[in-house]
Amino acid sequence: MMRTVRFHGRGGQGAKTASRILGTAAFIEGFVAQDSPVYGAERRGAPVAAFTRIDSGPIKQRGVIACPDLVVIADASLIQDPAARVLDGVNERTAVFVNSPLTAEQLQAQTPLLGRLTTLDLTTIALQQCGKGGAISALVGAVAGRLVGLRRDSVREAIARELADLGLAATQIERNQAVAIQCYDTVRTVPVAPGAPQPTASARLQVPTYESPTRGTARISAAANSILRETSGWRTFRPVLVPDKCNGCWLCFAYCPDGVISMAKDDRPVIDYAHCKGCQICVHECPTEALVAEREKEGTVAWKAK
Amino acid sequence: MEGEMMTGNLAAAWGARLADVDYIPAFPITPQTEIVEALAKWCESGAMAARFVTMDSEHSMMTAAGAAAATGARVFTATSSQGLLYALEVLYSVSGWRAPLVLVNVSRALAAPITLEPDHNDVLAARDSGFLQIHAETCQEVLDSILMAYRIAEDERVMLPVIVNLDGFYLSFTREPVIMPDLQMVKAFLPPFRPAHLGFKASAPHALGVAVLSGTPYSYFRHQMHLAAMNALEVHREAAAAFEQLVGRRYDVVEGYRLDDADDVLVMTNAFASKGKAAVDVARAEGKRVGLLRLRVIRPWPADAIRHALQGRRAVAVLDQNLSPGQGGILFQEIAACLYHEALRPRALCSFIGGLGGKNLSEGELRTVFEQTAEAGVQGKGIGPVLLYTEAEHREMVQLQDLATEHRA
Repeated sequence: MMRTVRFHGRGGQGAKTASRILGTAAFIEGFVAQDSPVYGAERRGAPVAAFTRIDSGPIKQRGVIACPDLVVIADASLIQDPAARVLDGVNERTAVFVNSPLTAEQLQAQTPLLGRLTTLDLTTIALQQCGKGGAISALVGAVAGRLVGLRRDSVREAIARELADLGLAATQIERNQAVAIQCYDTVRTVPVAPGAPQPTASARLQVPTYESPTRGTARISAAANSILRETSGWRTFRPVLVPDKCNGCWLCFAYCPDGVISMAKDDRPVIDYAHCKGCQICVHECPTEALVAEREKEGTVAWKAK
Repeated sequence: MEGEMMTGNLAAAWGARLADVDYIPAFPITPQTEIVEALAKWCESGAMAARFVTMDSEHSMMTAAGAAAATGARVFTATSSQGLLYALEVLYSVSGWRAPLVLVNVSRALAAPITLEPDHNDVLAARDSGFLQIHAETCQEVLDSILMAYRIAEDERVMLPVIVNLDGFYLSFTREPVIMPDLQMVKAFLPPFRPAHLGFKASAPHALGVAVLSGTPYSYFRHQMHLAAMNALEVHREAAAAFEQLVGRRYDVVEGYRLDDADDVLVMTNAFASKGKAAVDVARAEGKRVGLLRLRVIRPWPADAIRHALQGRRAVAVLDQNLSPGQGGILFQEIAACLYHEALRPRALCSFIGGLGGKNLSEGELRTVFEQTAEAGVQGKGIGPVLLYTEAEHREMVQLQDLATEHRA
């Protein structure tokens, strides 16, 4: 019976690679696997989804998994973002993993979720053991592998293959494998029931009628509507100013790709946190380390550039 | 004789001039160059108020044309063959912006091998681009079709760009009498261009052709283009009636020639349709009941008009002046598809490929087409694709091959 896993993450976190680690691990064990991502213009922090299907025979499916057996959420902030649609097709029989410092019970109390919930704070584990933020793909892939019942050794081998494919050095790969297997062993398992039924009722088709090109053309005339699209949820880290270190050079202002840094009269940056996507370019560029990356939500200052 | 002697290219330039276009981005290519040369001269002398700009390529030319149309300017441009293909990517964007400019294509066969004379693989490569297509038979029709093209393109129910096609050499450099429509009549026929969804105002910015991911909005907008193109059938009908009333000449989406009691019908497009009509006259004089259907509007595809003209015939021959390698004639496929559900569909459909690279279409070849089509109708079995290419021509070909391969000491 087919097993289906849907991964949700943010661009740069490694949801796509996690889906490939799971696919490769299943393939190593002799299953037929299929993995595929969907994403738009490649942007760090933007919602990304990826899909892995595992079966003993040929897979006659493609693309989106509407009702997965297991949903793997690599970034808890996505749950609040309706555009990310992480809860689509989730019901009582769906297993849900969330990368969160909260326990399943704490998370349920905060955000009621259908499904059999389990959590692990992969980000903190990665920060503590790998020494920096960024991709947690091996950890996410390992957790998914454990939950769907794949063997430890095949997950370890799949991590090596996929991370080597990304050009990681052997020492980095080994470190990732070790930490990922630790996550494999510590995640609290929940039953993952294979073969979640997919919706197959016949579609009610609509034939749109002609509309004037004012509406019927891919045209946006609402001025400055990007302000309405807040992207604060894209951040894992936020840039925070340490005012007495700032020399007022304006480099952060110049480098910000989203124009969310404005300069105050005292030559100090003011960051629009409603739209900052947390790319950390300002943190990297700041010559005096006056901007530091601070983990969102529960975290303290966890990582500094340079 | 009324009118004045004029090439198809000059007629095209006059079409743009009478339409009072605002902007002409240009890049030369044989056999189109005469069009932009005439327009350059008129813009230089002040005879036209348009802004004429020479571009660095057809790709830039179409980009400039589309962008200008998106600001609300009336835009004309022209190209041919390789130039059209170089611009092809942009064609899809311009139609997606629903920027209703008029592009004249002077058909020229595509390389390789390279040539200058016409067939329709160039314009049919743009068949699915969202541009409407009008294919002209005469120099007069070139001029008149450009005026009709602006009226149809700029209609709020359509708002799609239009290609007006004329054959290189057979029309582009061929002079024949052309009657110039009166400027006041043209003004009455073609109201000023005031698109609601286009324009350029700093106080009212808008974005066109924005990114749409996930397929749903893409499906919606592409389907809107289909609906707009289909609307063009009705808008063409209205434009044809208004044009006839003002100017006295009538153009429909298809033209039937001696169809009334015809058993067998030959389907053609563009300039060689004149020769097809002459061949019909010859056959008629010999007592054969044959006729000709000329496809004038290719996009939108006038399926109802085609079905109406071809239902109940014994046999139909489609003469494609194009070749899709590995398939055959492009228009034959479309004719066959739209007749499939017709209860009274012809007993035989025949596919002929002729005039490739501007090869002459001889009276003898057309006679053979009618003979083979009649036989297919009797047998109730279609034929083709049959290449119109004679034994005598092949002897010349063999000589050329010998010259090309002979090794001299």
